[in-house]
Amino acid sequence: MRTRLIISFIVVALLAGLASAWVANLILPYFPSLGSLIRPAVISHLLGSHVPGTRRPPPGRPDPPARGTAVAFVLAAGGLLLATITGLAFAASRRVLGPVGRLAEAARRMSGGDLSVRIEPGGRDELARLVTSFNEMASDLGHKVGELQRMEAQARQFAGDVSHELRTPLTAMTAVADILHEHPDLTGDAAAAARLVRQEILHLNRLVEDLIEISRFDAGTAQLVTDDTDVATAVSGCLRARAWTGVSTDVPAGLIARLDRRRFDIIIANLVGNALRHGGPPVIMTARAEPHASGEGRLILEVRDHGPGLAETAIPHVFDRFYKADTARARSEGSGLGLAIASENAQLHGGHIEAGNHPDGGAVFTVSLPLYGDPATTGTAPQLVPAGR
Amino acid sequence: MTNVLLVEDDPAARQGLELALRRLGYQVRPAETGEAALDGIGQAEADVVVLDVMLPGLDGFEVCRRLRRGSDIPVIMLTARGDDFDIVGGLEAGADDYVVKPVEPRVLDARIRAVLRRQARVGSPAETHGELVIDRSSLTVTLRGREISLTPTELRLLLVLSGSARQVFSRQQLLDLVWEHDYLGDSRLVDACVQRLRAKIETDSSEPRYIQTVRGFGYRFGPV
Repeated sequence: MRTRLIISFIVVALLAGLASAWVANLILPYFPSLGSLIRPAVISHLLGSHVPGTRRPPPGRPDPPARGTAVAFVLAAGGLLLATITGLAFAASRRVLGPVGRLAEAARRMSGGDLSVRIEPGGRDELARLVTSFNEMASDLGHKVGELQRMEAQARQFAGDVSHELRTPLTAMTAVADILHEHPDLTGDAAAAARLVRQEILHLNRLVEDLIEISRFDAGTAQLVTDDTDVATAVSGCLRARAWTGVSTDVPAGLIARLDRRRFDIIIANLVGNALRHGGPPVIMTARAEPHASGEGRLILEVRDHGPGLAETAIPHVFDRFYKADTARARSEGSGLGLAIASENAQLHGGHIEAGNHPDGGAVFTVSLPLYGDPATTGTAPQLVPAGR
Repeated sequence: MTNVLLVEDDPAARQGLELALRRLGYQVRPAETGEAALDGIGQAEADVVVLDVMLPGLDGFEVCRRLRRGSDIPVIMLTARGDDFDIVGGLEAGADDYVVKPVEPRVLDARIRAVLRRQARVGSPAETHGELVIDRSSLTVTLRGREISLTPTELRLLLVLSGSARQVFSRQQLLDLVWEHDYLGDSRLVDACVQRLRAKIETDSSEPRYIQTVRGFGYRFGPV
C-alpha cells in the first residue's frame, strides 16, 4: 500500500508539473511581460519554442555549449524535483499509513488477549476518528471482559467457600452418625431412618469433597506430587482399597510411570467406579506403554465395560460437571463430578482422557499420560523450618 | 485410658467429636481456643492433642509451635480444607499427622492409636552411628553426648530408618511403617518429618550424613 501511495503521488506531481509547463507555454505569448518573470529559459529550450521578449539570444540555432549547460541544468533540476516529490510522497504516506499500521498492530495485540492496548490519538481527520473509536471499543471490551472475569472468579470462590463452610457441620454429623447407626436400642423404622441418615451424610461428604477438589482445579491451586510408580501395584491397590472384585485387569508387571499416586488413584477409581455403576459387567482394565510422536512414551490405560455403551450425543459431554446421560435416571451414589475430576487430573499430568464406544459394544475410556512427564519430586519437599527446639 | 485434648472452636463439631471419641474409649478434654488448650496442657497430662487449624485468636499452627517449645506430645491436626497450605503449615509447625474434616471416627481412632504406638519401647541395646547414639530401650537419642528431644514420630522414623541402615525406604513404605497409613498416605508427611529430624541431628541439613535422600525413590540411613 505504501509503495502504491508513493508512486501515485509521484505520478500526480509529475503530471501536474508537465501540465503547468504546457499551460504556461500556451498563455505566455499573450502575456509577454509575464514571460520574463516566470518563464525560465530552460523551458523554452526544452519545448523548443520561441518566445519574444526574453533576454535569451534571438531565435536561431543555439550555440552548442549553451545547449549543453541547459541540458545539465534540466537534469539536475529534474533530479532535485523528483527527490523532493519522493520525499514529500514518503512523508505523506507515513502520515496516512502510520496510524493504519498502529491500528493493525493494536488489533493484533488485542486478539492476542491484551485488552489494555490503546493508540495515541493525533490530528482531526478521519483516521483520528477511527483511532478514537478503536480506543473506545478497546476500553469497553476491557471493562466487559474484566467484569465477566470478576463474576466468574466470584462464582468459583463462592462454590469453594460454600464447600468449606459445609465441612464444619458435616464434621459434627459424621462424628455422631455412627453412634446413631450402631445404637442397639434403635429398631424398625428408627433403625432404618438412622441408616438412611448415615448413608446420606457419607454421600454429602463425598459431594463436598469432590466440589472442593474441583474448586482447587478452578483456582489453579491443584499441585502434582509425582513419584516413580509401579502401575500394576497402583491399580491393584486402588481396586483392593475399594473392595472392587469384579474387575479384570491386564497390566504388565514392572511398568513404571512417574505419577502423582493420589491423583492417579482418583483417575482409576472414578473411571472404574463409573463403569461399574453405569456400564455392564465385566469391566476390563488394561494398561500399556506406547511410543509417542513427541519422543516420550505414553502410559495408555483403558477401562472398558460391556454395557449398552455411550449415546453418540453423550460422548462430548461425559466429562462435564454433573452431566447425566439420562436425565430421568435417579441420582447415583457418585457425586456427578467423578469423570470431570478424572479428566482434570489427567490434564494436570499433561495427559487426557477420551470417551468412546468399543466396536464390539460397551463404553471405553482411554487415559493417555506421559510416562515421565515431570521430574520426580521425592526428597525435594519445600524447605521446612525446624519446629521448636 | 488415653487422654485426648480436643481443640475445636465450633461447638457442634467439638461436641460431635467428643461424643464419638468417648464412645471409642477415650477420655476427652475439650478446649474452645488455642489459649485454653495451652493452659490445659500445663495443668493436666494429655496423651495426644487433636487440634483444629482454624481457631479464633491463636490459630492451630501457632498453638502447635508453642506446644513444641516445651513438649513432644503427639499432635494431630484437624484441617477443614485439606488444602496444601493447611497441611504444609501444620507439618512445618511440628504436627505428627493430620486428618481432613469431616473425619470418620474410625479414621481418627486409627490415627490416634498409630501416633501413640510410636512411643512404644523396643528393648535392645544402644547403637552408635558416628556421633549419634540411639538407645532403643530408653528411647533416647544423643548427639555428641547431648540428648536430643524428638517427637514420637521423629523418633519412630529414626528408629525405622536406622533399624535397617543403608536400606532404602520409599516414602510409601515409611508411611506404612511410621504413620501406619494403610493406603495412599500423603508423602509430604515423610518429607516434612525428615526435614525436622535433619534439623535436629544433622550438622548441615543440606549435606545430610544420617538421613540421606535417594532421589526418585526415598530415604535411607547412612552409610555413616
